[in-house]
Amino acid sequence: MRRSVCIAGLAAALVMGMGVFGTGRKGSVTRAQQTTSATEVKIDNFSFGPVALTVPVGTTVTWTNRDDIPHNTVSTDDPKIFKSKVLDTDEKFSFTFSKPGTYSYFCSIHPKMTGKIIVQ
Amino acid sequence: MIEAFLETAAPRGANVVLVLEMAMGTGLLLGAWLARKRRFRQHAWCQSTIVLLNFAVVAVMMIPSFRVHVLPRIPAKLGKAYYALATTHGALGTVTELAGLYILLSAGTSVLPEKLRITKYKMWMRSVLGLWWVVLLLGMATYTRWYVPHLFRK
Repeated sequence: MRRSVCIAGLAAALVMGMGVFGTGRKGSVTRAQQTTSATEVKIDNFSFGPVALTVPVGTTVTWTNRDDIPHNTVSTDDPKIFKSKVLDTDEKFSFTFSKPGTYSYFCSIHPKMTGKIIVQ
Repeated sequence: MIEAFLETAAPRGANVVLVLEMAMGTGLLLGAWLARKRRFRQHAWCQSTIVLLNFAVVAVMMIPSFRVHVLPRIPAKLGKAYYALATTHGALGTVTELAGLYILLSAGTSVLPEKLRITKYKMWMRSVLGLWWVVLLLGMATYTRWYVPHLFRK
């Protein structure tokens, strides 16, 4: 009996904890100061949108994290052409593409999140 | 289980750690059962192996991830679930692992001076086992918050 009460207590504590902690959008948010952002990639619900973006040479692409958990954006090239810090909700990262080519990238926290920028 | 992992956004390392930790938690329960059956030698081997293996997993996998993804944002962002769960898991997990190592040193070696050795073994071991499972559940909640899409969407 006492054991069942303990197990029930643990389960209740976990569920309550997740409920209390599951309100990610609340709280203060630091917005990164950015210059011009010609084209935007939104990060939302564990995906980049659009997944593939075509831009002319010289375009500055800005990634904005609209998700309620942190993400980042890292080029798959070796050496890395760009790598953002971990972006919290509403934080941004920009990179200017000065050479044509296809630039694949991913979120290193959630590696299944991928995207690419096609620079023409 | 593999299909369940495919639905998450977790890297392979996080999946490996989750499976290892669940196995270790179950192993500790098995070790406790061995003690109840008075098979103390096997009990000691089982619990010691798990405490040391967990120490390695924490040092190699968890601490580096915590340093990169969580540490730079606390205490400022502790109000967010993402950081709060990971920090609570980390803090309580550190206490539990240290307590496990203390029991291991006290019961299994003569490294510690007489004054520092445990006398109430059962109380210590049961407390650490209970704490271990609380930490494991917190770890599972942290994994869910970090890597499972859709779960907390409005």
